[in-house]
Amino acid sequence: MSVKLLVIDDDTALAEMIGIVMEAEGYSVAYCADGAQAPEVFRAEQPDLVLLDLMLPGLDGIEICKIIRAESDVPVVMLTAKSDTLDVVAGLEAGADDYISKPFKPKELAARVKARLRRQESPEPERLRIGDLEIDVAGHEVTRDGHAIALTPLEFDLIVALARKPWQVFSREVLLEQVWGYRHAADTRLVNVHVQRLRAKVEKDPEHPEVVVTVRGVGYRAGAPHE
Amino acid sequence: MTEDLGGPLPAGPRVGSVPHPAGPATTYRPPARRSTLRRRLRRKLLRLMQSWRSSLTVRVVSTTVLGGLLALGIVGGVLSAQIREGLYEERVDQMLQDAALQRQEAQEMFDSSTATTSQDVQGVANDWLESLSLSGTDADYAYLRSSPSSDSPVDFQDLVNVGGYDLPSLVSEDLSTAVEEEGGQHWQPISLPTPDGEVPGIVVGAPVTLPAAGDAQELYLFYSLQTEEETLGLVLQVLAVGALAIAVLLGAMTWGITRWVLQPVTDAVLAAERLADGELDERMDVRGRDELALLGQSFNEMAASLQRQIERMEELSRLQQRFVSDVSHELRTPLTTIRMAGELIHESRESFDPAVRRSAELLHAQLDRFESMLADLLEISRFDAGAAILEVEERDVRDLVGHVVDLTAILADAKGSPLRVDAPDEACTAAVDSRRIERVLRNLLSNAIEHGEGQPIEITVAASNSAVAVRVRDHGVGMDADAASHVFDRFWRADPARARTTGGTGLGLAISLEDARLHGGSLEAWSRPGEGASFLLTLPRRAGADIGVRPLRLEPDDDPQDRPEQNPSVIVSSDGPSLTRTSEENG
Repeated sequence: MSVKLLVIDDDTALAEMIGIVMEAEGYSVAYCADGAQAPEVFRAEQPDLVLLDLMLPGLDGIEICKIIRAESDVPVVMLTAKSDTLDVVAGLEAGADDYISKPFKPKELAARVKARLRRQESPEPERLRIGDLEIDVAGHEVTRDGHAIALTPLEFDLIVALARKPWQVFSREVLLEQVWGYRHAADTRLVNVHVQRLRAKVEKDPEHPEVVVTVRGVGYRAGAPHE
Repeated sequence: MTEDLGGPLPAGPRVGSVPHPAGPATTYRPPARRSTLRRRLRRKLLRLMQSWRSSLTVRVVSTTVLGGLLALGIVGGVLSAQIREGLYEERVDQMLQDAALQRQEAQEMFDSSTATTSQDVQGVANDWLESLSLSGTDADYAYLRSSPSSDSPVDFQDLVNVGGYDLPSLVSEDLSTAVEEEGGQHWQPISLPTPDGEVPGIVVGAPVTLPAAGDAQELYLFYSLQTEEETLGLVLQVLAVGALAIAVLLGAMTWGITRWVLQPVTDAVLAAERLADGELDERMDVRGRDELALLGQSFNEMAASLQRQIERMEELSRLQQRFVSDVSHELRTPLTTIRMAGELIHESRESFDPAVRRSAELLHAQLDRFESMLADLLEISRFDAGAAILEVEERDVRDLVGHVVDLTAILADAKGSPLRVDAPDEACTAAVDSRRIERVLRNLLSNAIEHGEGQPIEITVAASNSAVAVRVRDHGVGMDADAASHVFDRFWRADPARARTTGGTGLGLAISLEDARLHGGSLEAWSRPGEGASFLLTLPRRAGADIGVRPLRLEPDDDPQDRPEQNPSVIVSSDGPSLTRTSEENG
């Protein structure tokens, strides 16, 4: 079964072009040109990944992102023409995993999509500890005292990356490369926003994080595992 | 009795006569008090002069007070002269009458005497003098003597009725001459010694005839004007106090009124200053309907008009920036489609015939250029809109330089220009936005490579306590003055005729300059035709702080300053171009 993408964009020429490129990469593509219908189309198509334009008629891209995130952990990649505005941060805070700013190259888009669809192939069951949390990598599950915590795939990748090397301090650039798949430095706001989102889910007190610890001037590292 | 008073006086002007009523007054004005008053006035005036220029209030108050004092002085002078005249004239008349009466009584007494010897005559005169104090006269002292020129048969000793004072010396020669030669009554103002010190007074002289001695004697009576002097002093004191009070009141009133009138002006000044500081909503309080209210009203109208104009301009500028930004953004969606299509076509170019294949390559290359131009345009519009945000972090500038040198090494190899980096061993850290600084360095390096003519390119890094600096020096063709002065202009190219291999957008250095400015740093250019160019980026260690000591000079160390030069060095900094003609400096 091929992986299905949903392109939500009112610019039909661009949507079609994206379709051509992505189908050449082996994905099947569904389209939605109207923001207001996007949630319905999303439910009907059950895509594996959503490419979402931020400026849409009917329903705003950020609103759509919130709706999707409320019902699904499916990866969302925003398409934006204004990479410098608060829209990007707002989109990320609304639950988007990544963004790609126009104009982009087909290869760039393919790489972004691939990175988001990447699944950790762990033949051996791997269990990690970070702070007072337990991570079952193969089972894709994070638990605290036996209670599961729901994380998006991206957030899961982020916490696994940190937990695998608890002795290492990760700079934002390194995290961008390992989690998002960027080859060279990109927007570090991605990391900041997702660390905030992750903390909101896993920390007992997000003001005083114990799981994802900030190292001033460098980046982040895993909190010491509780015995 | 006063028959001679109006007569012509052969004697000098110092001999008093009735037409000189003001005469005595001059002698009892206190000169010392007047001079201290003047000194104080002068000092006050000096102090006033200092603030004269700076304060309208001082000017108005001092003018009013001085004018008031002048008017009061004139009025006071006239008034006191009038009072004095009235007071003294009457009193002197009384004294002259008294003196005439006394003389008459004395003459009668002497006439009725039968004395013939000198001793008897002396006795008679003594008796009269002793009786004088009982006779109810106003005279304080009396003095009886023979005329200096008399050749009386009787030997008469001069007599005074009070000892201790040198009365004879008070009789001036002029007076005694007048008495002796003209007869009749004469008088003169004098300063009269009393137990309380000298007081103003007059001396009245008239001839008398002693028995058996011929008519060669003179009688002088001395009168004191102390009471009148005291009265006049009191009056003057009252006048002066009154004048002073009026002057103070006048000053205070003027000050108050001036303040009151000037308050709106001061308000206007403050409001104008605030307006100039950009607080366009600043307005003045307008109360009433007088001229000052009119001032406030006019000011407010001006401010409103200014505000409208500025807001209109701002709106226009905003619209324009918005337009540039919107156009750039709107272009991005179709560009993305074109880009992707172009990419697809480009990838499958091998299957096309040569003409289409070349077209696909051209399309691809120009799309790249179009995209970077759009990106630069967006960047510039962000600076223009003031929307550029500095994201600083502590970075070692040597690392940034190393990174950019790695990135541009391929280009440098292609052009044959070796890149030489001269950096200190110790760290050159500064709080910078690494994305922007790398962009600046990339720009400078690719420019140097492009114009470097295959000559080595020297990159120097240095730091001072307060700043870090990077200098990029090439030894290429350089630029003349006209070219160098436009180097930071938008869409300006050093040589439009020259082939471009790196495909810059024409906005690179303009953006670099804005990036440097955003850090509070500077970007300067130096160039000479045939000698290459030097670009110096200086950044404060803390973004926005003062640069302080500059770690590097813009002009390269091998700058041949000693050699007379045909072409002027051109230094262009963020403050604008400035030309240095080395030939003139040396000649």
